Amino acid sequence: MLRQLRARFGGPVAMAIVGLLCIWLIAMVVLPQLQMIDYSLRPNLLPAEQGGPRDHWSLTNYATLFDNRIHLAIFFKTLWSSVLVTVLTLLVSYPIAYYLAKIATPGQAALCLLLLIIPFWINEILRTFSWFIILAFRGPLNELLLTLGLIERPVRFLNGDAGVLVGMVYAYILFMIFPLYNAIESLDGNQVRAARDLGAGTLRTHWRIVIPHAKPGIATGCIMTFMLAAGSYAVPALLGSPGSRWFTQIIYNWFFEGGDWNQGAAYAFLLLVLCIGFMSLVMRLFKVGLADIAK
Amino acid sequence: MSAQRFLDWGLRLYIGVFFVYLFLPLVIMGAATFNDSRFPTITPWRGATLKWFAELAGDAGMWAALGNSLLVAIGVLCLAVPIGVACALFLTTVESRAKPFVYGLILSPLLTPGVIIGISTLIFWRQFGVAGGTLLTVLGQTTFISAYVMLMVMARLQRFDRTLERAALDLGASPWQAFRRVLLPFLKPAILSAAVIAFLQSFENYNTSLFVVGYDTTLTVYIASKVRTGLTPAVNALGLILILITVALAVGYEIKRRREARMRPPLA
Amino acid sequence: MDGSVTLDRIVMRFGDFTAIEPTRLTIESGEFFSFLGPSGCGKTTLLNIVSGFLSPSEGQVYIGGEPMVGVPVNRRPTAMIFQNLALFPLMSVYQNIEFGLEVRGMEKRARRQRSDELLELVALSGSGDKPISALSGGQKQRVAIARALAVEPRVLLLDEPLSALDLKLRQHMRNELKAIQRKTGITFIYITHDQGEALAMSDRVAVMSAGRIQQVADPETLYHRPGTGFVAAFVGENNRLPGIVVEVTETLVTLEVAGLGRLTGRAGQAALAVGQRAALYVRPEQLLLLDETAAGTAAPATLEAEVESVNFEGAWRMLEARLSATGERLRILLGQGGDSRQSLAPGAHGRFGYDPQQAIVLADDDSPRLDAETGEVVSGQPRERSHAASA
Repeated sequence: MLRQLRARFGGPVAMAIVGLLCIWLIAMVVLPQLQMIDYSLRPNLLPAEQGGPRDHWSLTNYATLFDNRIHLAIFFKTLWSSVLVTVLTLLVSYPIAYYLAKIATPGQAALCLLLLIIPFWINEILRTFSWFIILAFRGPLNELLLTLGLIERPVRFLNGDAGVLVGMVYAYILFMIFPLYNAIESLDGNQVRAARDLGAGTLRTHWRIVIPHAKPGIATGCIMTFMLAAGSYAVPALLGSPGSRWFTQIIYNWFFEGGDWNQGAAYAFLLLVLCIGFMSLVMRLFKVGLADIAK
Repeated sequence: MSAQRFLDWGLRLYIGVFFVYLFLPLVIMGAATFNDSRFPTITPWRGATLKWFAELAGDAGMWAALGNSLLVAIGVLCLAVPIGVACALFLTTVESRAKPFVYGLILSPLLTPGVIIGISTLIFWRQFGVAGGTLLTVLGQTTFISAYVMLMVMARLQRFDRTLERAALDLGASPWQAFRRVLLPFLKPAILSAAVIAFLQSFENYNTSLFVVGYDTTLTVYIASKVRTGLTPAVNALGLILILITVALAVGYEIKRRREARMRPPLA
Repeated sequence: MDGSVTLDRIVMRFGDFTAIEPTRLTIESGEFFSFLGPSGCGKTTLLNIVSGFLSPSEGQVYIGGEPMVGVPVNRRPTAMIFQNLALFPLMSVYQNIEFGLEVRGMEKRARRQRSDELLELVALSGSGDKPISALSGGQKQRVAIARALAVEPRVLLLDEPLSALDLKLRQHMRNELKAIQRKTGITFIYITHDQGEALAMSDRVAVMSAGRIQQVADPETLYHRPGTGFVAAFVGENNRLPGIVVEVTETLVTLEVAGLGRLTGRAGQAALAVGQRAALYVRPEQLLLLDETAAGTAAPATLEAEVESVNFEGAWRMLEARLSATGERLRILLGQGGDSRQSLAPGAHGRFGYDPQQAIVLADDDSPRLDAETGEVVSGQPRERSHAASA
């Protein structure tokens, strides 16, 4: 490995490349994760007790989750809601991505992409906050519905999971649209025309031609959206209520309110396992590899 | 073909509704800044005011957080850009059976939830006596922002014609001269873009920072805490300013990128 | 300045695959030398060994008598013109030409003076400040030449540099390259799969196939006295008629060709023996259409064929025909005058004769052959690569 780098860049640059890569991978990527797992397997002890007889590996911290019905329910709700967010986001994004890639003129597409990129760069907190204003008990949405006579008294949107779902779809939609757009864009338009020509209807054309071609993009979008949703802290914290807590909030509480980092590390690791599990499932389902995802 | 026409119109309508959905919340949030109401809303409208900007200007906590955010972003920039470039160079140069594994490792921070990166950073550095704070925020953010930089630099590196390096060597350049005079100038636009994006990513980061900021609150964390406690339209004023800056940056960046794409010399 | 290049028992292997079979060759200083061969024959590998991008598995390369193996690319007295030219796209014409001088630490004014001289040599005076993207294909070509000459190489290596140009420009650049080579006196080593280029410019040509040099000779000799069946088929057009040697005289060899009887031609190699498998090669321009009325007269050899198509190519017409007896392809080149046009329509039968002195007999060896129909190389014998591929 070093030989190839030296041949191309010379010794000093090759050393710098390997040095930076190794320091980052080891000290920032690999070891912290391993340390987190190690932490999650140890009991929460006073500093004096650490390294003592009680300091040994066990699965106690993981058992806590399965013994705590509330935490377990929140874990599964987070899983289920994240899947829901992913599916909703996919459904909302697909027509947009298809329009941008295949129907819009180059000028329209360029304008739309610019319009999409702008909110993409705006802080997740601020985007969520804007929904907080809209969904407020005395906010514009309730006002509008009241004026239209659709409801008789204001609805507490911020009291259940609905607000969280809406906020998440809004916050992560662009992570779905861009991979989808990139994948559909590379489809040869003649294939769609040929399918039409052969008598396939709109639905069948999409099902048989466009969607199979866009698989890597769909997979990437779903993985990113799920990961962001399951790992989201801001959206449930801002748009949720105590009754609609997210798993990340439980983790946060273990760290900064419960003061039990070991317990928190175990929960965090379970969240990571959840995301890796979802990713492997999607990759297997869509038959795509890591290299397709990074495009 | 009336069914087709119906579908086309349906799609147009959908696109229109979608963009309203995308921008209306931001407009409403901006508008609420100017409402003379103690709580950020546009209903009921109590008359226009600029007082929330004044209140924001007097918010010492906000200024401290802004300073911290900038400090962190600069720190991240200094670490993540060299690391990302090194990763991209490594991946495009080395051919080895271990490469897919290394590639997976390099990508893994992008596929890991931000809170977990924050948590593992916090736990790992505790043993060296480093508690939450500016330094730890820089380290935590660098973990995943480096991978973004890598992807952006890699995209351009893959378009690089390696014969150019061979030509430089053939003309008598040392590998270092070939790197500095031929490859680096080619990568420069991608490195600059990556730097801008690394800066923005750092400035906006919440999930990772949440666990590692300690008392050195960054602006994003500050805004989030304000929303939950002590919410006034001053938060909107801050949001509006940030949005305007981001929009200006995003538009500027996009225009520059497109101009470059147009002017890119054809690579033989 | 000695710009001679000697390849001393060079062998190049990539894993199991032998790209260059043991090769010995000396290229004289100041010579315009070409390696000609189909793609994959190893010519580019040889070029990379001379330039230093590859290190040979065995053997030594001498440039001007000095051993070169182990000397890195950037310290060799060679310069290369790449197939895609590899001009630095972000630099101006001046910066491109001066790159090699700059990395050698030459002072700026001397650099500029040298590059102005070179721009004049390649007829691009005044274009120094242009960006590369503003140049036409031919101009880029000239900048690449100037950039390579700037470092005063003893040997200039050219890797199919004209292949990207269109036909007219390509022919013009041939003359120009030849003129520059004469003016500078630098050894040129030229790699191409285009025999027209190789024959037109070179002092000597090495025809390569399957990692082996088939023949090294000046262009006339290659064309008129090919040394192997591969060279006969690859250089110029040739009709190949395989058979068994039945008679050998001092200069002539007679073959028994299935379906066609006895055909006689000049012996192309010394050691042809009765009973050996060999082939008669007769070029399309050596075949003459025999008059109908002359049928039965004592033509030395006649080939009867059915015309399949007539391709009018301006100064001549190329007939594609099939031998009536064997169905094998026969190509005949006819000049404008003389021949009866009536008999040339597709479907017509014609009888063609040739002068045995103008045909050549070469032994069937195991060297690769060209497919008569497509002109592509078909292996005479499976090479190591095909073993590796099937394994």
